[in-house]
Amino acid sequence: MVVVNLFAGMAESAGTRRLDLEWTGGSVADLRRRIGDRIPAIAELLARSAVAVGTSYAADTDHVPGDADVAIIPPVSGG
Amino acid sequence: MDARSKGEVSLVDGAIDHAALLASVAAPDAGATVLFLGTTRRHTGDVVTERLEYEAHQPMAVRELARLRNEAVSRFSLAGCGIVHRLGVVGVGETSVAVATAAAHRREAFAAAEWVMEEIKRSVPIWKCDESAVGDRRWVHPEAVFDGGAAP
Repeated sequence: MVVVNLFAGMAESAGTRRLDLEWTGGSVADLRRRIGDRIPAIAELLARSAVAVGTSYAADTDHVPGDADVAIIPPVSGG
Repeated sequence: MDARSKGEVSLVDGAIDHAALLASVAAPDAGATVLFLGTTRRHTGDVVTERLEYEAHQPMAVRELARLRNEAVSRFSLAGCGIVHRLGVVGVGETSVAVATAAAHRREAFAAAEWVMEEIKRSVPIWKCDESAVGDRRWVHPEAVFDGGAAP
């Protein structure tokens, strides 16, 4: 199972801060598709968000292990 | 990073103690120290802000801030660099972020403070929610595709 953490406007649109998905491993791009299918309301923002596995930004071709802790990082606005 | 360089990096829930931040970057070889404070602004065009609320992916934001700090130290030959970002509600006129840089000369200290702020806005997983006087809430997510700031 993969745990997907959501933040800010994405958590608000999804109505949750955490998604648990059945997951046996795959690419970041695969995981993006799974999340978008599960919650269509966040698909647009997801498409322009970064993905972090653990606390490091990951590329779409990177592997996400079956037990990963993942965060979706929508465009940032700190400062 | 130069092990001799100094400075606090943290996320805080209450008011930022910028005197403590300045003290954390003080160094015998610093001839110039710059303190930048970002504060909540009332008007942005026609939008009237009552308060901002900040949220972060905390472990990742601390890690990214520390990376920026270390890169600033080496890039600008700083004697000290500290960054504190506030989370939660920040009212108009209150400070949401403070950056302190100390260098041998002012040029590097000014340039480093500006660079750190640009990088915070580009890559650190912190978000603000703009709350208007009439109670509207809007999370700020800039329109461009976000790729993690193409962090090295």
